[in-house]
Amino acid sequence: MRYFVYTILFCIGFCSMLHSQTDSITALREVRLISYRLKDSTYTRNVIVVKDSVLKQNQASLTNFLNFNSTVYFKENGLGMVSSPSFRGTTASQTSVLWNGININSQTTGQTDFNTINTRGYNKIEIKPGGSSVADGSGAIGGSINLVNELGFNKGFHNELFANYGEFNTYGIDYQTNYSSKKFSMLLGIARNASDNNYPYPETDRININGQYHNTNVSFAATSKLNSNNTLKVFANIYDGRRNFSVPTPNALKTKYTDFNTRSLIEWESHFSAFKSNLKVASTTEEYRYFGNINNDFYTYGKVTSFIAKYGLDYVLSNKMLLTAGLNYTHNDGRGSNIASETRNLSAALVSFKHVLSEKFLYELGLRQETNEQYGNPLLYSAGFSAQLTDVYQLKVNTSKNFRIPTYNDLYWQGVGNTDLKPETSYQGEISNNFNFKNLSISLTGYYNYVENLLRWIPDNSGIFRPENTNKVEIYGLESVVTLQKSFGNHKLTGSATFAYTVSENKETGKQLIYVPFYKFTSSVGYNYKRISAYYQYLNNDEVFTTTDHATEHILDSYMVANLGAEYTLSKKRNYKLGAQILNFWNESYESVLNRPMPGRNFNFYLHLKF
Amino acid sequence: MKNHFHKLASLLIIATLSITSCTSDDRDDPIAVQPPSGNYTDGIFILNEGGFGYSNASISFFGETGDVYNSIYTEVNGVNLGDTAQSMGFNGDNAYLVVNNSSTIEVVNRYTFEYIATVSDMIVNPRYIEFSNNKGYITNWGDPNDVNDDFVAVLNLDTNLIEATIPVAEGPEKILLNNDKLYITHKGGYGYGNTVSVIDVASQSLANTISVADVPDGMVIDNGYLYVICSGKASWTGDETLAKLFKINLSDINDVTALTFSAGQHPSHLEFENGTLYYTMDNAVYSLDSNGFQLPETPSFSTAADGVEILYGFEVHEGAIYIADAKDYVSNGEAFIYNLNGDLQNQFSVQIIPNAFYFNNL
Repeated sequence: MRYFVYTILFCIGFCSMLHSQTDSITALREVRLISYRLKDSTYTRNVIVVKDSVLKQNQASLTNFLNFNSTVYFKENGLGMVSSPSFRGTTASQTSVLWNGININSQTTGQTDFNTINTRGYNKIEIKPGGSSVADGSGAIGGSINLVNELGFNKGFHNELFANYGEFNTYGIDYQTNYSSKKFSMLLGIARNASDNNYPYPETDRININGQYHNTNVSFAATSKLNSNNTLKVFANIYDGRRNFSVPTPNALKTKYTDFNTRSLIEWESHFSAFKSNLKVASTTEEYRYFGNINNDFYTYGKVTSFIAKYGLDYVLSNKMLLTAGLNYTHNDGRGSNIASETRNLSAALVSFKHVLSEKFLYELGLRQETNEQYGNPLLYSAGFSAQLTDVYQLKVNTSKNFRIPTYNDLYWQGVGNTDLKPETSYQGEISNNFNFKNLSISLTGYYNYVENLLRWIPDNSGIFRPENTNKVEIYGLESVVTLQKSFGNHKLTGSATFAYTVSENKETGKQLIYVPFYKFTSSVGYNYKRISAYYQYLNNDEVFTTTDHATEHILDSYMVANLGAEYTLSKKRNYKLGAQILNFWNESYESVLNRPMPGRNFNFYLHLKF
Repeated sequence: MKNHFHKLASLLIIATLSITSCTSDDRDDPIAVQPPSGNYTDGIFILNEGGFGYSNASISFFGETGDVYNSIYTEVNGVNLGDTAQSMGFNGDNAYLVVNNSSTIEVVNRYTFEYIATVSDMIVNPRYIEFSNNKGYITNWGDPNDVNDDFVAVLNLDTNLIEATIPVAEGPEKILLNNDKLYITHKGGYGYGNTVSVIDVASQSLANTISVADVPDGMVIDNGYLYVICSGKASWTGDETLAKLFKINLSDINDVTALTFSAGQHPSHLEFENGTLYYTMDNAVYSLDSNGFQLPETPSFSTAADGVEILYGFEVHEGAIYIADAKDYVSNGEAFIYNLNGDLQNQFSVQIIPNAFYFNNL
């Protein structure tokens, strides 16, 4: 059988380059449970944790990374353009994006444009499927994505430079410097990505016009152990991006869009006897400008400044029980071309209890009370247990109530905004079955999610779109994540696959929501021998409906895309790495949004230095 | 265990590598059946503007036999029409398709629908087209956020090139020819207009400006009179104004009669047939005699009971009333044909956001 594996790899043309030790492409699932170092995360659902080394082998946009490594489905308006997710069949604003635990979804649209997140600015990404409003607040209905700057200690001074260059003048430069001593650690990273993005549309004589973009991300993190009981952390991030929006037809008026986002966070952790206290104070700004004509200075904009404070107090009872009480406060101050200046204050109190009954059984309960009268003070909950039933089999069961409040646009858009809107409410439950073998882990999760008061902009009978609490949506599905790794001699093989089956049905019409595929499948394999490694990523999205009546002539075809890459490690210290990638290896002609073609086969090279 | 592992690993790799391109194009799109003769001589074209930015504008054809053919432009020419088809005009053997967000005019043979030319130079956000003396006159918004760059493009119908532009006020919309003069309503683009421009064809220059009420929408000319329906600004604009129906004597443009609608009423569309004016409001059809010229108190008939969700296109032609329903804007629309008494005669499904009917030799 081993020979067969080799043959396959030989067939794809990379046999002669198989040497060396590199990081695997595989997204490893975190399965460890640290019994009483319980954090504000949940232990009765699965979390996928992806580390830096894996991030580097993917393209820089968060869209591309999650598309190939998770069950999240993306609707991308052409490469690098506006990109919105559907996580477990939910709408684009029902995925919450967190930056070091702070929600950074746009307050104006409720969404994050996943092409405005540069993954190079982070060294860890956590993908959490399912609702987590008790911990993460509004918007965490389909799932949440946490972008993390993780700091280590006692590693001295080291630097990293990553540079890539590819077709269509696409380049990325990412420089990171780290310093850590026993009590202090800091990192500073600067990443820039840009592309002319003028790729030919496969099977046509057209090219992508006006799709060029560039963005710069600066990230900073520092932590200091003040004394044995107190730790202070500081995080900051600046994102400055400009995109031209590619024209849908060649002669259309050209437009552009800029984003400027800043985030800063101070976190103070403190231990005293059985207590552990955590205070986070953050400030974020988000600003977009849309230029309806690239040759004109006129633009429309939206700008929101937010202040967020989170306090949590953990009380450890007998190493087996953890009681947490917390307070959250958010203040938003927004204005824009179509929004008069509006402020909003949100606060919530939460309490949770985790109990490790035995090495094999744990349960947790959480409650969150929103305390702002405008949205009817929902009481949110989550409850679940985790049981290690056999050596290899673990069962997790979780249920929760989650919500999403209306956005600034929903509430305050001049003339059509509606301040009487109710929050969306979601009731969900899930069962995860995890099988962990020595080299292989398999998780299989079934879930059910019932969403009420879905917020949508729908036309009234004079054709004016207004935000309304509309339908009920019933979502259920299955998702599976498989990871494996195996070494034999100098050979190391890794593999991972995700699979999602999603039914997301408007209860009024009985029809699947538009742009939600029934199936999504991803897989990746990595092979490593001494200094050489090769990897292959594969994505398959089922067809999607683009009209609410499911008219067959408007269905967007299913597609598959695959990338193939190889790396070679140079120098005696093995700290230089050269890589090459063939993106869209099979030269698939596909669209993720109707009439927005994506690039065909293209090449990309990279260099990774550590010094 | 080791064996298991190898089997699984191999399976994963095989699955990954072998599932390559057995995905797209698996499902055969239903090919829109076209008339066997390839002939679109006698029938009605329905313009489906498509979703803004989605490049899925299309044209349906309703033949004399009662058959409906969809996406005829694409089926005949093998390419998509473009992004947001706004209107269409006939001249000689040609049809001119005004594609708003593509900023193009597609010229086709009106009988075979075969492609002839694309006009794109000096066209920016085109709206409507009218013809006079072998020239086409096309209203253009230019950059919708710029109130000063709106114009009428003059198209040479022999060369299919724009040979001149005539600057006009913001948001030129419908355009009509009468006695060597062009009448243009200024609906207002992204803003709100309240005038009608009069252009002298001979000198290709602005001859006059007629003041009307806010948001002039439909316009018809009969027997020396220009009728203009102004919707008024809707409440969501934060500055709601009254809607009005104007009757303007073209031999003396100071001779104006205006009928004023009640507060909160915002009519649109204006059609004329056999001495009767027709307009629509809240999915209902209203009519009035053009000589008596008094606003009706009640609608002639309502279309809501027949399932019309958003009355988006409206025409009166040869004793029949044609209504296009845009539904929720993200599904196939529907066409309804009524007689003048409001009895539903026919109903059929078309494509995305139907906005108008054009009659070929009917």
